[in-house]
Amino acid sequence: MLVFTRKRGESIIIGDGIEIRVLRVGHDGVRLGVTAPASVAVHRGEIYEMIGAANQSAAASHAPDLEAIAARLRRQAEERNPK
Amino acid sequence: MMTAPSSPLNVQTRFGTFTADVADIVTLEDGIPGFERCRRFVLVSSDAIAPFTCVQGLDEPRPSFLAIPPRLLDPQYVEQLTPADRVRLDAADDGSLVWMAFVRLTGDAASVNLRAPLVINPRRMIGLQLMPADSSYALDHPMVLD
Repeated sequence: MLVFTRKRGESIIIGDGIEIRVLRVGHDGVRLGVTAPASVAVHRGEIYEMIGAANQSAAASHAPDLEAIAARLRRQAEERNPK
Repeated sequence: MMTAPSSPLNVQTRFGTFTADVADIVTLEDGIPGFERCRRFVLVSSDAIAPFTCVQGLDEPRPSFLAIPPRLLDPQYVEQLTPADRVRLDAADDGSLVWMAFVRLTGDAASVNLRAPLVINPRRMIGLQLMPADSSYALDHPMVLD
């Protein structure tokens, strides 16, 4: 990991067009400003990790009775919107 | 322009084997969290598993997901796209986008990730998983099965 010491108003540049600037330093947090091309996704780390964990557990789904569950969902949809 | 010849694709998933076409492959440039190296996915379904769609990764570790349209679970579901997401999806017109929510099924419970849906632009065959910082939707919205 690269480690930098930055003061308020200073920034680091990553690759082509990504800039992270320290806007404010407080007791319990640092406010950062991120400038990046629209094609680059910027996410808070903890949200990204939470969604990653949700994806991992979704990918581990097991449903031996999937067709029965699907039939139940189709029936529910039909009951909501009778033809 | 020449029409590309159809190239059938046998798609093996954890929920059965389906037939698709190479033209059905959707590219997710960033992958999805937890599966960043898997960029190519294909969406397959059948009469037997509808309304579920299987979102099958074609790159290792070839994850298999089940998904449903969010509005099937919540008819009032609000599709929210940030300007940056719209640019990344190359979607000037939201109307043609396909929204899918990942489903988690375990032996006795089912939930749906309404917070971070997969959104696909079928005209470009590109997609991404939305990761809103704030959302009123849950990662594990319960799905009632009976």
